Amino acid sequence: MKAFCTLLKNELKLNIRNMNMVIFAVILPLAVLVILGLLYGTSPAADGVGYTFLEQSMGALCSISICAGGLMGLPLVTAEYRERKILKRFRVTPISPGMLLAVEFLIYVLYTLVSLSLLLLVSWLGWGVHLRGSWGGFALSWLLTVLSTLSIGMMAGGIARNTKSASIIACVLYFPMLIFSGATLPFEAMPETMQKIVRIFPMTQGIQLMKSAFLGLTAESLALPIVVMLGVTLACSGIAVKCFRWE
Amino acid sequence: MEEIIKAENLTKAYGTLLAVDHVSLWVKRGTAFGLLGANGAGKSTVIECILGVKQPDGGTVSVLSLDPRKDRRLFQQVGVQFQECGYQPEIKVSELCEETACLYKTPGDWRRLCEKFGLGDKTGVLVKNLSGGQRQRLFIVLSLLPRPQVVFLDELTTGLDAKARRDVWKILKELKDSGLTIFLTSHFMDEVEALCDEICILQKGRAVFYGTVAHAKEKSGCENFEDAYLKLSGEEME
Repeated sequence: MKAFCTLLKNELKLNIRNMNMVIFAVILPLAVLVILGLLYGTSPAADGVGYTFLEQSMGALCSISICAGGLMGLPLVTAEYRERKILKRFRVTPISPGMLLAVEFLIYVLYTLVSLSLLLLVSWLGWGVHLRGSWGGFALSWLLTVLSTLSIGMMAGGIARNTKSASIIACVLYFPMLIFSGATLPFEAMPETMQKIVRIFPMTQGIQLMKSAFLGLTAESLALPIVVMLGVTLACSGIAVKCFRWE
Repeated sequence: MEEIIKAENLTKAYGTLLAVDHVSLWVKRGTAFGLLGANGAGKSTVIECILGVKQPDGGTVSVLSLDPRKDRRLFQQVGVQFQECGYQPEIKVSELCEETACLYKTPGDWRRLCEKFGLGDKTGVLVKNLSGGQRQRLFIVLSLLPRPQVVFLDELTTGLDAKARRDVWKILKELKDSGLTIFLTSHFMDEVEALCDEICILQKGRAVFYGTVAHAKEKSGCENFEDAYLKLSGEEME
């Protein structure tokens, strides 16, 4: 446990010193929030609905940092450590791959948590955004989205041969999910065929679930998103630990 | 005396290149073993096969009676300095030491070790800003942090100045006298002569000499150990 905490503290320090994730996972979503806030203010999402456009977008805004941390940060840092032979050095110490991955995983969970808190605070102070549904439901759907997305990234980083292939895998995962899962383009605005395709992204399921929980709407189906996200989490983290490559 | 490292008939090929060809070696507790040979003779591959970082194609290995590929607990008692040392780009000396020490149950005091190796005033510096010799000494410090029973040092003093080399020898001799087993590779024959109880010379992956420094001199008929090494490893100038 002491080893875990010391590693977490040091690796977090190094990660913040690097600044990439501070920009992409903390500042970027906040900037998007402020732009949306300035554009839409407190106007309702549509005629006759009881919630504002910003409130409707909170799920999607939260997913920007989840995307950045899980699909960019996590796979790249793991692959970089492999390429720089840092993992080779860890290999001849008593640490297990599981613990090493867990430390990196938790760092990105912390980033998304900081981002979430800032988004909630700033949107509340600036435009009176407040959660209309259940806190528990929202927290749970947020956590599921974080776990499933990060485990995809952990698997990609765990098995990529080098930084280059990790960054290709990261791009292939990051951009489609960021653009098509509803994080930037509203899911409702997509043609129906496209909606069907992007539904398989765990991110899409996560955003829909977070949105219904935030707004207090009844979700179409609870089982499907939960099953998709839990399945992805278990499968990907299992593969990441099992197929972990030190070199 | 108890054998700490046992490797029998180690064989490893990269494609068609036979990097290590049926090498066997045994290292007793509290002794220093030197693996010698030209660049590309297979020294690092032997170390990596012994540590389980590379899977040998044939042969058996045990370190402290454990199989390094199966039992990671072994690494509580083993220190390693690889020829190429990886470190995080923005990490400081103190952070790297702390992060390494925390992995072991009973680590040594990294501040004292740093002082011992002349790095006492460098702990706040980024590792990438150290000089080559300082970085080399830092990685020797890291390999001794676990307070290991056996330490592997690949190209121990490459990049160190004369004084620093002597200091490192002195520290290693003291540790050896208190029971540490040392496995090293080196290109400096004065160092090998000063530290090693037994040596093995590799030539293209095969062991061409195995014994003590005195044996090597006797067998080659050379007074000077470096001459003996060159003769035995087949690299003597014609």
